[in-house]
Amino acid sequence: MAYDPRLASAGTATPDPPPPPPPPPESTMAAATETESTDGIAPTPSRDQQESDSPKLKFCTVCASNQNRSMEAHLRLATASSPFPVISFGTGSLVRLPGPSITQPNVYNFNTTSYSQMYEELLAKDERLYRNNGLLNMLERNRNLKWGPERFQDWVPGMPRVEHVSKGDKGALGTEGGVVDVIITCEERCWDAVVDDLMNKGSLLNRPVHVFNVDIKDNHEEALVGGKAILELANRLNDAATQELRANNAEGWENGTGEARRSFDEKVPEILAAWQEKWPNLPALWTLAWL
Amino acid sequence: MAQSAGNLVDQIAQLNAARNLVLGDAAFYPQIVNGVLPIIGARSRVELRRWGAEFLTETFSSPALASAQKEQLAATALQTLRETLELPEKDTMTLRYIVEAAASLYPLVFRHIINHPEDSAAWENMTAIKDDILRRWDTSPFPVKLCCIKFVQRVVQVQTHGLTDPRRPEQNETSLAIVPKNHSLLSLPHLEAEASGLLDRLLSVFQEDASDPLLVNATLNSLAILIRTRQSIGNKIINAILSFVPARQARTPVTPAVRVGVKSMERTARALMINIMKRNPSHPLASKMQQHIERLMQSRLETVDDSSKKRGLPTEPTDGLDNTKRAKLDAESPPLIKIPPLPQGPISYAQLFTLTEDTGLSSFDVRQLPVDLLVKIVVPVLARVDQSAMQQSVDAVRMRYHTLQKQQAAQPRPPAAAEEEDDDYEPEYQPMDVAEPPTAQEDALSAGPADLQPDLVSLGPFVLPQPPPLTEGEATEIGRSAVGRVFDMLVSSGVAPNTGKGKSQQNLGFSRLAGSTFDRDAWVTLLTRLATRAPAGLEVDSKTDQDSSKRPPISDSIRETLYRYILEDFRGRVNVGIMWLNEEWYNDRVQMKFTASQRAAEDEESSVPLHYDQWSLRLLDGFLPYLDSRDTKIFIRFLSEIPEVTIPITKRVASLAKDPERVNLCVQSLLYLIMFRPPAREMCINAIEDVYQTYEESRPAASKVLARWRPQSAAIQPQPDQQTLVTRTVGSENSAPLANGA
Repeated sequence: MAYDPRLASAGTATPDPPPPPPPPPESTMAAATETESTDGIAPTPSRDQQESDSPKLKFCTVCASNQNRSMEAHLRLATASSPFPVISFGTGSLVRLPGPSITQPNVYNFNTTSYSQMYEELLAKDERLYRNNGLLNMLERNRNLKWGPERFQDWVPGMPRVEHVSKGDKGALGTEGGVVDVIITCEERCWDAVVDDLMNKGSLLNRPVHVFNVDIKDNHEEALVGGKAILELANRLNDAATQELRANNAEGWENGTGEARRSFDEKVPEILAAWQEKWPNLPALWTLAWL
Repeated sequence: MAQSAGNLVDQIAQLNAARNLVLGDAAFYPQIVNGVLPIIGARSRVELRRWGAEFLTETFSSPALASAQKEQLAATALQTLRETLELPEKDTMTLRYIVEAAASLYPLVFRHIINHPEDSAAWENMTAIKDDILRRWDTSPFPVKLCCIKFVQRVVQVQTHGLTDPRRPEQNETSLAIVPKNHSLLSLPHLEAEASGLLDRLLSVFQEDASDPLLVNATLNSLAILIRTRQSIGNKIINAILSFVPARQARTPVTPAVRVGVKSMERTARALMINIMKRNPSHPLASKMQQHIERLMQSRLETVDDSSKKRGLPTEPTDGLDNTKRAKLDAESPPLIKIPPLPQGPISYAQLFTLTEDTGLSSFDVRQLPVDLLVKIVVPVLARVDQSAMQQSVDAVRMRYHTLQKQQAAQPRPPAAAEEEDDDYEPEYQPMDVAEPPTAQEDALSAGPADLQPDLVSLGPFVLPQPPPLTEGEATEIGRSAVGRVFDMLVSSGVAPNTGKGKSQQNLGFSRLAGSTFDRDAWVTLLTRLATRAPAGLEVDSKTDQDSSKRPPISDSIRETLYRYILEDFRGRVNVGIMWLNEEWYNDRVQMKFTASQRAAEDEESSVPLHYDQWSLRLLDGFLPYLDSRDTKIFIRFLSEIPEVTIPITKRVASLAKDPERVNLCVQSLLYLIMFRPPAREMCINAIEDVYQTYEESRPAASKVLARWRPQSAAIQPQPDQQTLVTRTVGSENSAPLANGA
C-alpha cells in the first residue's frame, strides 16, 4: 500500500505497450455512432461523458454450426449503424455444412478450422455446387467477420478475448473481458443447449445474462430476415439499458430523490413481447441465466 | 465542472488502459488492483466507483487469475468494497457490481479464513458485506436484487457440506466439509443454520403468489449447481420446484409480457429438471420431475400459450392445375348409393331387393312387358352396368338379408312351408341391377308366407305339459344322482380354487355372498345348505306321516356323503366340516324357533330333529383315530370354530390322552378352549382334570394347566355332573351362527 501512488501512475502510464489498438477505434466508432444514432438521445452533460457512460450491451449469437444464422446476426449486430460488441458460437458437436447429398455433409471441427480453410476446401471440391447453394458466399461473409466457428460449450466466460480484438474480428470491440449481457440463439434446441450448458458451467462469474431464442429456419433467406429481427431486438434492449443508465446518472448527479425508474432487466419481458408482436413468425423465448 | 469532467474522462481512459493490460496478461493483476484501489475508493466520484466495482468483479471472477492470487488480493479489495457499500448515496450500477464481486469473493475469503483463522479483519469485512447485502435483498432495485439471489446461492453453497476427497485436500471445493471443527472464527452449527435459513428464503420465490419471472428464472438458473454438489439440500430444492406452477403466476390481464414471463419460467424449470436428470438419470425424484415436466407442457397448452406461434403453411399461388387434379381425384371415388332402411315388421322379397325410394318405379309390374322386349332392354343394361354401383347394391342387399336372418333366428321358427321357400332362394345369384323383374315375381310368390308370419309370432307363451308324477323311489334316486353330480363338481373344481381362493375372498370381503364365486367353496356352501335347510320342513312332515326308518331322507344321504367326503382328507377339508357343522347348528336353531312359533298351545308333542350333536360327534369320531401329534393346529382350529362345544366332545378330546404321543395334542387343544372359549371353559377344565386323574402320562402337561386355571383342584375330587349342566347351557351362546351365512 505504501507505494500505491507510484503504482497507480505506473498503471495509468502503461497503456502504450501491449494493447495499442483498442482505445482509438472505440472512440472513433463511438463518435460515428453518436452522429448517426437515431435514438433521439436527450442532451446530457457532455458528448464525451455520454460516450463513456453509455457502453453498449454485449451480445452473443448462437446457432447450431456458427455458420449461417448466428453469423448473419453477428454481421448485423457488428456492422449496425450503432455497432454492438458481439461474439458468436455454435452448439452442435461438429460444424456441419451441406454436401453433394443429404448423407454426405461436409463436417469440420469447431475452434480449429477457419472459415477460410472451409472456403478453400469447398472451392476445390466443387465450385459450381457450392457457389449455387450459397455456401461459398456464406463462408466468404464469415471469414470477413472472424477467424472460425467456435463451440459454445467450449467457451470459458470471463476468459479475456483480447486476441480477437487484435485479430480484427468484427464486433470484438467491447468483448475483451469475455463476458456478454445477452445471448441470442436461433433455434430452441440451441436455447436448451445454452441454458443447460450454463447450468453445467456452474455460473462461476455470478453475472446475470439474458438468454433469448429467436426461432429462425436454417436457410439463407430466413437468416437474413432473422438477422434483421435480432438487430431490432438488440436495439430495443440497448435503448432500455441506456435509459436505465441515464436515469441512474441523473439520480446520482442531480436528482437524488428522483423516482427510481424501472430497470432494464425488469423491462425485458415487455420488450420481448412488444418485439414478438412485430415479428410473429419468429417465435421467441427468454430466460435470465448466469455466466 | 467541464474541467473535472475532462479530467474524469482522462482517468477513465487510463483505467481502461490498465484493464486492457491485465486482460492481456493476468500476471499484472496484483500490481494493477493495488494501484487502482485508491482511485476507486469510497471517496471517489461515482463514475470511478462504478468502474472500480466492475473491475473488481471482473478481477475476482476471472478464470485467468489463479484463486491463490485472488485470495491474496481479496483482503484489501474487501475493505474498499465495504466502504463503498456503506456509503449513504447509492448507485444501482455500483451496488450491482459490488454484490456480484461479493458473490465471487465469498468462497475465496471463506477458504482463506479456514486456512488463516488469525485474519479476523478479513472475515469481519466479509461478514459486514454479507449482512449489508442480506439487508438490502428485499428492498433493492431489480438489478441488485438479481445479484443478491446469486450471492445468497453462493453463501448457501459454501455453508453446506460438500463432497471431499481426503487424498487431495487442496483440490476440495470450498464448503463446510473442509472447515475444522474447532475453528476459532467459523462456527459450524451457526453457519449451517444460516445457510438453511437463506435457502428457505431463496426458495420462497416459488411459494409466493405473484413472483416476478425475472427473480424466478434467476433463482432456477442458479440452483443447478446446488442440487448437483449438495446432496443434503438437493431434494428439498427439487421439491420446492416441483410445487411451483408457473401458469398460476399468470395474472388476469394476460398481456403478451405476462405470457412471455410464464413461458420463460416453464421452460427454465424444465431446463433445470432436464439438467438434473441428465446428470443423474437414476435420481430418486426423476419420475416426479418427468411428470412435472409433462404437466408444465400441458398447462402451458391450456392456459397461456393458447396461440401457437409457429407460422402456418405459406400461401402458394393456386393455378388451374390444382383444380383439374382435384376433379380427377373426385372422379376416382364413386358416388355412394343411398340405401334406404328397411321398414319395420315383416319384409317381403320385393322390399328386400328394392333399393330405390321412387314409389312409381317400385310399384311398376315388369310382367306387363313382353319377354322379348325385356331381353332387349336387360342385355344392353347389363353390358353397361357400373361396376361399383353393382357392388354396392349387392352388398346392401346382402347386408339386409343377413340382418333379417339374424332377426328370424331370434324369433320362433316359421312353419315349414315358409322355410322351403327360403331354401330355394340364392341371394348371390340374383342379377341385382335388373332387380325389378324377379322381385316382382317373388313378391307374388312370397306374399303368402309373409302374411302368415304375424300370426305365428303372436302365439302365446308355450307351457310344457306336466311330467308324470315320480314315484318316491324315483325321486330319491334322482335326488341322489343330483347330489352325486354336485360332489363331482367339488372334486373337479377342487384343485384350481385353492390358489385363487385367498385372493377372491380378499377382494370380496364382508360383502361377499356365500356361493357367489362358483369355486369349490361355493359348491360346498350349496351342498351344506342342501343337506340342512332345503328339506327341513319336508322331513318333519314325512316323519309325522310315515315311519322314518323305512327310507333314509335325501338330506341324510347328503350328510353321509359330506361326512365321507370330509373324512377322505380331513386335514385339507376341515374347513368344509366347520362350515357344515355351523350350518347344521344354525338350522337346528332356526327349526326350533320356527316350531316354537308354530306350536299351538295344546300341542306339546311337537319336536324338532336335531342334527348338530349327532353329526359333530360322528365327524369327530371319524377323524380322531387318524389325528397325530402334528395336527395340533388343524384340531384346535376345528374345536375353536365349530359353533358349540359339548361335554361329549370334550370327552372325545380327553380320550386322546390315552395315546401317550397325543397327550400334548389333547392338553393343548383343551387349554386353547379354556383360554379363548370362555363358555366352554369349565367343562374343558373338568376334562383336563379328568385327564390328569386318569392318565399317568398327562400329569406333567395337565398339571401346569390346572395349576393356572384350577389351583385348588389337584387335591379335590372333581364333580363333573354338577358342572356340565351349567356349561351346556352357556355353551350354546357362543360363536356367531351366521358366520358362514349369506
